Amino acid sequence: MNLFLILVLPLVAALISWLPLGRRTAPIVTLLACIVVLVLAGEAALKVAAGARVSAVSEWVELDGLGALILGLVAIVATAAALFSWGYVAREEDAGHLRRYYANYNLFVSSMLAVPMLVEPALVWTAVELTTIFGIYLVAFDNTAEAVEAAWKYSVLTIMGGAIALLGFIVLYRATRFGLAPFSWSGLITLAPRVPPDVLESSFLLILVGFGAKVGLVPLHTWLPDAHSQAPTPVCALLSGIKTTLVLYVILRLLPILNATGRINIELWAVVIGLISVGIAAFLILQVTDYKRLFAFSTVEHMGIILTAAGLGGTAAHYGAVYQILNHSLTKSFCFFATGAVLLAVDTRQIADVRGLIRTSPIAGAALLFGGIAIAGAPPLAVFLSEFSIFRSGIAGQHYITTGLLAAFVVVAFFGILHHLNRMVFGEASPAATDSLPVRLPRSCVLTLILAGAPIIILGVYMPPPLHRLLQMAAEGITR
Amino acid sequence: MTRSVAFNLLQVLFVLGLAPLVSGVLSRLKEIVQSRRGPSIFQPYRDLRKLFNKDEVVSQNASWIFRVTPYVVFIAPIFVTTLIPVLTNYPLFFAFMGDMLGGGFVLALGGFFASLAAVDTANPYGPMGASRTRMVGFLAEPVFMIVFFTVSFIAGSTIPYIVQQHWVTFADFFAPSHVLLVIAFVMLILAEAGRIPVDNPTGHFELAMIDESKSLEYSGNGMALMKWGGQMKLLVLMCILLNVLVTPWGLAGGKNLTDVFLAAPLVLLKIGLFILILVVIESSLAKLRLFRISEFLGAAFVTSVVAMITGLLSF
Amino acid sequence: MQNLAPALSSLNGLAAGAFLLSGFGLLATRQMQGCVRFFRLQSLALVGSIFLVAVGAPVPDLIAVALLDLAIKPLLIPWLLRRYVPEEVFRRREIEQVFNIPSSLLIALILTLAAYFLATPLPLAAVAMANINVPVGLAGLLLGVFMLAARREAVPQLIGIFAIENGSLLTGIAIAPRLPLVAEMAFPFDMLIIALVIGILTRITHERVGTTEVGALRALRESSAK
Repeated sequence: MNLFLILVLPLVAALISWLPLGRRTAPIVTLLACIVVLVLAGEAALKVAAGARVSAVSEWVELDGLGALILGLVAIVATAAALFSWGYVAREEDAGHLRRYYANYNLFVSSMLAVPMLVEPALVWTAVELTTIFGIYLVAFDNTAEAVEAAWKYSVLTIMGGAIALLGFIVLYRATRFGLAPFSWSGLITLAPRVPPDVLESSFLLILVGFGAKVGLVPLHTWLPDAHSQAPTPVCALLSGIKTTLVLYVILRLLPILNATGRINIELWAVVIGLISVGIAAFLILQVTDYKRLFAFSTVEHMGIILTAAGLGGTAAHYGAVYQILNHSLTKSFCFFATGAVLLAVDTRQIADVRGLIRTSPIAGAALLFGGIAIAGAPPLAVFLSEFSIFRSGIAGQHYITTGLLAAFVVVAFFGILHHLNRMVFGEASPAATDSLPVRLPRSCVLTLILAGAPIIILGVYMPPPLHRLLQMAAEGITR
Repeated sequence: MTRSVAFNLLQVLFVLGLAPLVSGVLSRLKEIVQSRRGPSIFQPYRDLRKLFNKDEVVSQNASWIFRVTPYVVFIAPIFVTTLIPVLTNYPLFFAFMGDMLGGGFVLALGGFFASLAAVDTANPYGPMGASRTRMVGFLAEPVFMIVFFTVSFIAGSTIPYIVQQHWVTFADFFAPSHVLLVIAFVMLILAEAGRIPVDNPTGHFELAMIDESKSLEYSGNGMALMKWGGQMKLLVLMCILLNVLVTPWGLAGGKNLTDVFLAAPLVLLKIGLFILILVVIESSLAKLRLFRISEFLGAAFVTSVVAMITGLLSF
Repeated sequence: MQNLAPALSSLNGLAAGAFLLSGFGLLATRQMQGCVRFFRLQSLALVGSIFLVAVGAPVPDLIAVALLDLAIKPLLIPWLLRRYVPEEVFRRREIEQVFNIPSSLLIALILTLAAYFLATPLPLAAVAMANINVPVGLAGLLLGVFMLAARREAVPQLIGIFAIENGSLLTGIAIAPRLPLVAEMAFPFDMLIIALVIGILTRITHERVGTTEVGALRALRESSAK
């Protein structure tokens, strides 16, 4: 029952936001809906972690460990972004445009919430396509030439990916002909041993290529830096923080099905493609000129890391993968909130134009630095722990080359991020900038930064037991 | 056996005699569609008679090729007529003298001599048209090859009479390979016979001529033979398309003269329907610019290859 | 029903042939109008195949899907494009492309061959009469991807996406004719929404950037940073 409520609330909020009820209604309603969804999702996740079975319509709408984790993450990032939007989007003068933003925002969130809840793959495809479509308006929100270009590239490449994945899902459906299990993730796992491996392999390839475009895996990643930098900041946080992870989740759901046949070496595919993405993203980070694109490339890198970790096999590596998913979502959304604060302060996206941020607007500078360090994987913050656990499981499993390459690429990216941020945050500020008054950031933005930053620090030192249990269940969800 | 030979000769006479009529009907219909009255359908006969009664003027610089070409161009389609099913659906006496590939080569021989003759005189428009004809010809060759190859593979033989038996039942008729083959072959006819969109058969502008340029220098007997040969080539191609690929019915099955005579109007009916389609195509498309002809024939090539793929890898 | 099977099979072959031919036509045409016309033809061929499978398999659910597709793809989507994309975009007679037409056709041929060779060994088709749908649909998908890559204009890229979906669906009805109805219905609606959104996006692109030649958009590359 609660699951339906989680889906319906944002839809209602979308409708209310769309109605012309003044400038204040939409943000308030959105934020309220997101908070309620967050509470409900958290409750569902706790129930799953305690071992109970949460399902609304059996075989169609169900939550297991992995799904609960992702659902919770969607809710968290959506709430944080809604809070940040309050202050950030309030600058927009046109009330109609504002309302449409919030309406689309709610629709976007609703479709994202649907993905981990649905267990029927064809419906999952539909939900993922809907997230793509609702995101288009949000990416083009700024209405500049660059934003429109980014929205175009985004829509064309991701919709093409969706169309290719469609065929993959239909081929996957074919697998149900070989037995009596229903067409759901768990049903497919039981069926897998009896299905000819060609069928599953071709389905996986199609879905990997198609949804890989949506995740931003190289070589179909070209839209990601554009879209994730030109969109308004809260949308970037949503896109980078959770939407790409969501599509990666769908790909990860296929891994246990393929493992169950026992005859396909799918791990190799995952590792190779993951490593390529990490490597290329790491080197692209070095030559970036726009700080939002910096974090976008970092998203590509982390998607690659998660895929590689999932491909390494074994519960330990899979635990590392889901841990990385958790930490990446929280940290990356914080990073984008920080860039939003910086953008409000200096009004330019170019790294070369920003200097001495710590002096001109201390809050933005500190947030940016903190976010950069966190996402690069410095101890004692969250991402460091998850990356370390991946490395450890890789060495324990004797995948020395993979782990070595992964570590090398992560170090390259680390230096790249810090190099750029260092110049931005420290360094000589231009006289004009130091003389002018610091821009006052909206209170909601600052509040979001604090609220979003806290978990990163906390998770670096302490892991609450229910969360640990949830992560373990999620890891099993990839393994079995 | 004599009957078989006789029917073969009858087929030749059929094509020989009715080619100008087909040409006349085609031009008349085109004119009618364009809201004009058009010449009488028997006008080509009158033209031929007029030309046969005129003197021939031959350049002093022309070699023996120039004099021989009209005969080659005239005989080539006749030769091919003996190989293809025009009136009967069982093989006649000369049927095994050559197969479809051989027939294609013989028609190409006629075109080859025509191009040589056009270069033979010192007329500047001759070589220009000849080079263009060769370009169209060389682009059309792969299509010919693939169409013939696919048809032979599907039907299990290269002799037109035996191929014709294959599509009489509806078994394979709507298979994609068959439909695509027909489309490719129609595009080929448009190219080889010099119809719109490849070339304008009624044009008088020498700079734009492709196929017409082969008869620029001829007069009298030569001109008559070239014209007649061209008309017969079109009729032969149409017969191959209709009697072998598209509508292999209505041909004489029995061995008496009456059967064969009864088949003639049916064949004319089929040709008439195809003429209608041809008129529609010609009146609704514009002539392609020269460099777009390669795209047109490229599309025909791709269609024929796809027909080959779907035909060979059929399930 | 049994004695109709061969006839239905050959008619389905006809539909598949028309589908493939219109896929090639999409690549061979230079005009904007040509793209839309060939897309219409391809959608009609797809609807025809769906009808035939619905009658031949028999799967009555598919008739609803066929009707829905008939309403949306050949009719609604071109209308939507007409309505939302600026008029002058449709009057374009020369589309910018990366390869010239004969090369595009040759590449398309290679892709079709690849599709045939990939699809034949897989034991995928669930409906015997629709055996030809699998390679043809896959070929349509690959041709759509190529069209997306090789065309530089907004509307042909969009039609490329639709061609990919058409190909997926053509293969899909042969592989999984009994997919749950709710999922089958979702697909054409999805395309409708895509058409609407992209139509509007094209209009906005036209207004903001001044042209719909999206292949020439380079403002976001690192090398052209201001």
